Amino acid sequence: MASRKAPDLPGRAGADGARACRAIARAGPERRTVTLPMKDTKASRPRNVRRALAVAALAFFVLAFAFPERLGAPLSFAAKLQFGQATAALVSAGALYAVALFAAYAALTAVFGRFFCAFLCPLGAALDLAGALRMKARPRNYAYKPFRAWRIAAPALALALFWLGASLPFGTLEPYSVLASVSCLWEGPSLVLMAVLASGYFYGRGFCNSACPTGFLLSLFARIPGRRLAFTEKCLSCGRCGKACPASCCDPGKRAIDRARCVLCLECLAACPNGSLRYVPKEAAPEAGPVRRSFLRKAALGVLAGAAFATPEGARGRALPDPEPPPLLPPGALSLARLGAHCTHCHTCVRVCPNHAIAPMTEGGPGLWGKPAIDPYRGFCQYDCVECARACPAAALTDLDVVVKHHLRLGEVRLNRLECIVVKNGTSCGACAELCPTGAVDMGPGPSGRDEPLLEPRLCIGCGACQYACPVRPQSPIWVIGLKYQDSLGSTPPVSHAEDETLAEEFPF
Amino acid sequence: MERRTFIKTLAAGAAVAAARGALGAPGAALAQEAQYPDLVAVRGTGITAMFDRALEALGGLGRYVKSGQTIVVKPNMGWAVGPEAAANTSPELVAHIVKNALNLGASKVIVFDNTCDNWAAAYRDSGLEAAAKGAGATVAPAHEAGYFQEVQLPGGQYLPSTALHEAYLEADAVINVPVLKHHGGARMTAAMKNLMGAIWARGPLHRAGIDESLPDLLLYKKPVLNVVEAARVMLSGGPRGRGDSRYLSGQLLVASEDAVAADSACAAVLASAGLPVPTYMKLAEERGIGKADLSSLNIQRLNA
Repeated sequence: MASRKAPDLPGRAGADGARACRAIARAGPERRTVTLPMKDTKASRPRNVRRALAVAALAFFVLAFAFPERLGAPLSFAAKLQFGQATAALVSAGALYAVALFAAYAALTAVFGRFFCAFLCPLGAALDLAGALRMKARPRNYAYKPFRAWRIAAPALALALFWLGASLPFGTLEPYSVLASVSCLWEGPSLVLMAVLASGYFYGRGFCNSACPTGFLLSLFARIPGRRLAFTEKCLSCGRCGKACPASCCDPGKRAIDRARCVLCLECLAACPNGSLRYVPKEAAPEAGPVRRSFLRKAALGVLAGAAFATPEGARGRALPDPEPPPLLPPGALSLARLGAHCTHCHTCVRVCPNHAIAPMTEGGPGLWGKPAIDPYRGFCQYDCVECARACPAAALTDLDVVVKHHLRLGEVRLNRLECIVVKNGTSCGACAELCPTGAVDMGPGPSGRDEPLLEPRLCIGCGACQYACPVRPQSPIWVIGLKYQDSLGSTPPVSHAEDETLAEEFPF
Repeated sequence: MERRTFIKTLAAGAAVAAARGALGAPGAALAQEAQYPDLVAVRGTGITAMFDRALEALGGLGRYVKSGQTIVVKPNMGWAVGPEAAANTSPELVAHIVKNALNLGASKVIVFDNTCDNWAAAYRDSGLEAAAKGAGATVAPAHEAGYFQEVQLPGGQYLPSTALHEAYLEADAVINVPVLKHHGGARMTAAMKNLMGAIWARGPLHRAGIDESLPDLLLYKKPVLNVVEAARVMLSGGPRGRGDSRYLSGQLLVASEDAVAADSACAAVLASAGLPVPTYMKLAEERGIGKADLSSLNIQRLNA
């Protein structure tokens, strides 16, 4: 490839060490007219492997979002592995797997640094791609930025609020939710995702250190000394590492990399012309300085301030309105308050529902924006299906056994018989009873003289099949209202153990 | 005996056709039709043996399936419940028909249903997708409007047009293989009602009245053969079936070229168990779409 004059592009320095060093020695460290062959070297290999893994994670999620029928199970498994979602599941339900995952990520981050952010986070990969796009369109350098406490305010507050039961900020910033959620306005990528990708275009991994609650949490663990990227004596102070660092955490001037903010993207390794950056064991790391202590103080203050700002009652009271009738929630949500407190609105349930019955709510106030609800006009909750509850990575929907679900009331059926076409038009129908899985709606002789829908509310689980099947639109005369609390059916649906009857005569015709 | 007569008739027909030219053939065919019953009912156990017995009486499946044809076998697989609930057609029977059709040289056998429950769950849980595929059929999806094409129903009184599945339109012959059940909305589902799984929008039928509009579905392309499985008949809680559903051990299979006649026989079965029967067969007969009066039919009653 042809060599390129200024500016000095990160990641393209390449070349075998000796040649590059000669070139730099000739040009001087500050000159930007250095020309080097743009070819990958041994030094960029770790970065390339890292990029490949991250892009593979992103590609998997995008594929799974596109084909949830085929990839539903791996999608929910991979979503549960996301650190932010595991944290949510830990807070929501104290799920055992979430406790284990959280502890494992914390320990591994302390030992190896924030590998999750650069290797496993699909949104991080998307940010890298947005940054790469910028590099193609309008090449520029990144630059080191000193740590500023205000950058952790938003993610710390989001975490604190989530802990206290207001999930909107956390769900808006948590990277898996950002990537996965469908917009409330139309069923495509959300506005938040587009804003975050735009930030990647302009500021690289800036999002990871100034907005992402997952990144913030991991940065706390990364402050525990462990393996880290560090400068060696060979460093020529050329500054390429700092210009290549999308997280703006590499300071070539002080020859230091802020481990807390470093996402281990390894761009600096690839940019270093003579291999003077090394991923070294803990011993080589400098002792904890005053910066860290002051940071910890500030972080603690931030969380406390968040907690004071949003007392449990305050957060819940503000966040949770009381719509009447309550929306029809997916199975396992258990209550409006619980869903409002724990759902990160990642919309994994929306994607995996085989009947496409779940859609993000657009009404109900900030506490319910984007949270999932069943819309029986779109589809009904299939009797034997627990896909959404099984898939929820934040444990906002409790994983249900199918038998438990058969007895779980999501809503209650309502009927306006005067608008039913059997009564109104005097024709036979029965579409509602046909789909009712429990017998809560049955056809029988009614006052009209014809078979019309008869309700047995104590058998209704609120699946919405009757409303879905009813041919009357736009307003179905049979419909289901949600419940504030999903509770258990008062009575067990009757079961017959009777022997099969036999034909009275051999051929009744 | 039957088969021999059939072959002789065919040979005679061919000879007459050769002698008189192509015009002679319909006469021969007519002569041959008269020998077969309008409706065959077989009682017994073992659904495939019952099917074989019924088709023997009707002159063999070869009368309906010709070499090189595309055949649609339309079961009821609308419900995400297992075969034990008898809400869907028996997978064994459908696989048997598919195999026989392929053995007769059918180029392609397609199985589909526009399900009521979620389609993937219904195809899977009914056991029909696996059984039909195992027998060599193509199992076609039918869960999106794109698989259906709008056609005019000539003489449709309540349904001037409807969207039929593309496989149904493409097929040279349709074999209708429903299961007999109680039906909360239509009182009974068997041959005619099963065709509601071949169309896309069922709303218009519900709006117009099921009894009144169901005969219209027989106006476009009648199934050449209707095989109603009544081995175990759901008597209540249909069509999906519930924990407290009652059943009748019917041990019966009804086969007829006339869906209306087949349904009339099925209605007699439900009536014998004290269930109310629908009126759509009668309405169909009044419009000349089929025969509902069983006394006017040549019925063959067999045991297998």
